[in-house]
Amino acid sequence: MSAPDLYFDHAATTPVDPVVAAAMAECLASAPGNPAATHAAGRAARDRVEAARAEVAALVGAPPAAVVFTSGATESDNLAILGAVRAAGSARHLVTLRTEHRAVLDACRRLEREGHRLTQLKPGRDGRIDPAAVGAAIGPDTALVSVMLVNNETGVIQDIAAIAAECRRRGTLLHVDAAQAAGRVPLDCAALDVDLLSLSAHKIHGPQGVGALVVRRAPRPALAPQLLGGGQEGGLRAGTVAVHQVVGMGIAYRIAREQGAAESAALAVLRDRLWAGLGGLPGVLLNGAADGRAPHILNVSIEGVDGEALLAGLGELTVASGAACGAESGEPSYVLRALGRDDALAQASLRFSLGRGSSAAGVDAAIAIVAAAVRRLRSLAPA
Amino acid sequence: MSGPAYPPAVLDLFLRAPGAGRPDGPGWASGEAREPLSATHVRVHLKAADGRIAALRWEARGCPYTLALAALLSTQAPGRPLGQALPDIRALARELDAPVGKLGRFLVVQDAMAAAVLLLVPRPA
Repeated sequence: MSAPDLYFDHAATTPVDPVVAAAMAECLASAPGNPAATHAAGRAARDRVEAARAEVAALVGAPPAAVVFTSGATESDNLAILGAVRAAGSARHLVTLRTEHRAVLDACRRLEREGHRLTQLKPGRDGRIDPAAVGAAIGPDTALVSVMLVNNETGVIQDIAAIAAECRRRGTLLHVDAAQAAGRVPLDCAALDVDLLSLSAHKIHGPQGVGALVVRRAPRPALAPQLLGGGQEGGLRAGTVAVHQVVGMGIAYRIAREQGAAESAALAVLRDRLWAGLGGLPGVLLNGAADGRAPHILNVSIEGVDGEALLAGLGELTVASGAACGAESGEPSYVLRALGRDDALAQASLRFSLGRGSSAAGVDAAIAIVAAAVRRLRSLAPA
Repeated sequence: MSGPAYPPAVLDLFLRAPGAGRPDGPGWASGEAREPLSATHVRVHLKAADGRIAALRWEARGCPYTLALAALLSTQAPGRPLGQALPDIRALARELDAPVGKLGRFLVVQDAMAAAVLLLVPRPA
């Protein structure tokens, strides 16, 4: 019997689905063609790109023409935020949340340094923002609101439809980072009424290095391209489209469309099993709301232990941590601090994220490993 | 493994934790120190005989380097004269291949040890 899969970092990246890998390999091995070229090889490449575009669009309830391929969600966030605000003329104000991904926050801060005004709203302790608070922050010069659908650290889901209604009422564009949402929660651009939506492939068993920005068709928001060159992707993203990457994303999104609902239901059961086990340990606190969460993410803080020592004691268990040692910034998780956790609890936090290889046996093993590590560290600590 | 890679000696000391524990009877002197920002908390227990450290035990909440240093001291301190009991933190940091950023936490261990040593050194009349 093989050992259970102890990889619990699917929110960072997922293993590429073998079907995706095979399709990408076939694409790389076949005759090359630049999809911008007019000859037969170019047309063949373009057909592959358009088929992938249709798959991505189908998963998120958008027309294929709305999908702009990028190098990933980070680039999509940058294109949406920098592109929308720089194209907005006199509107010089942005609204976002303190708990957004760094790709959003850093793009917003760049604009702030360039003279734009930035409002960073603080969500409640449950990680949710009141849509009315977003509406109240919008002023006559607000160019863009950016709020993520599923938080990458806590899994908390925001009420995007209600936030979109606030934006619509005030005539402001809404950008949504949906990198953690695609394939994991129902996602329908038309129903959510968003203007710009960032997507990633590798969070859903596709390849790294490719993503998309969905740009509403009507009314189409003005976007200033951030990469200049050959005018690809409707002039919004210059550079030769990486056909094999895009093909991989298309297959990953097709699989997510066909299997995502069943997978998400199974992942929610595993997540609840994980919380039932971890939450039963003394001093283990759930980060974020107890309900309205994505099925694949669980974030906990553990009292009475050092975050870095906890992580070092987990052996082969692969999880993400809020400890400074595990973060490039050298600071404990800013997301958890925004939710009111102190530095020690933000440090001593673990994010478990589940995916296609996750199993009940793996979850049970993870609970046992964490319980043993916590017990040991507490036994070493001064009473 | 989820965390950063540690030098093998650090990981070994952290996982084995030699010397970890509380005093098991009378005759121990205990000192402690804290660093609130990182919530590091170290308690060092010393037993002396004939003006030398006879045994060192420790309790600690801290990063793997902090625990590894306390464990290392428990193996190195016994036999040292009380007057020379305090460790050379920089030398130990080099021995453990610790990043500079960990020196602050090492000082917590040193402070806890110094507090314990002070209780054992005879005061001038």
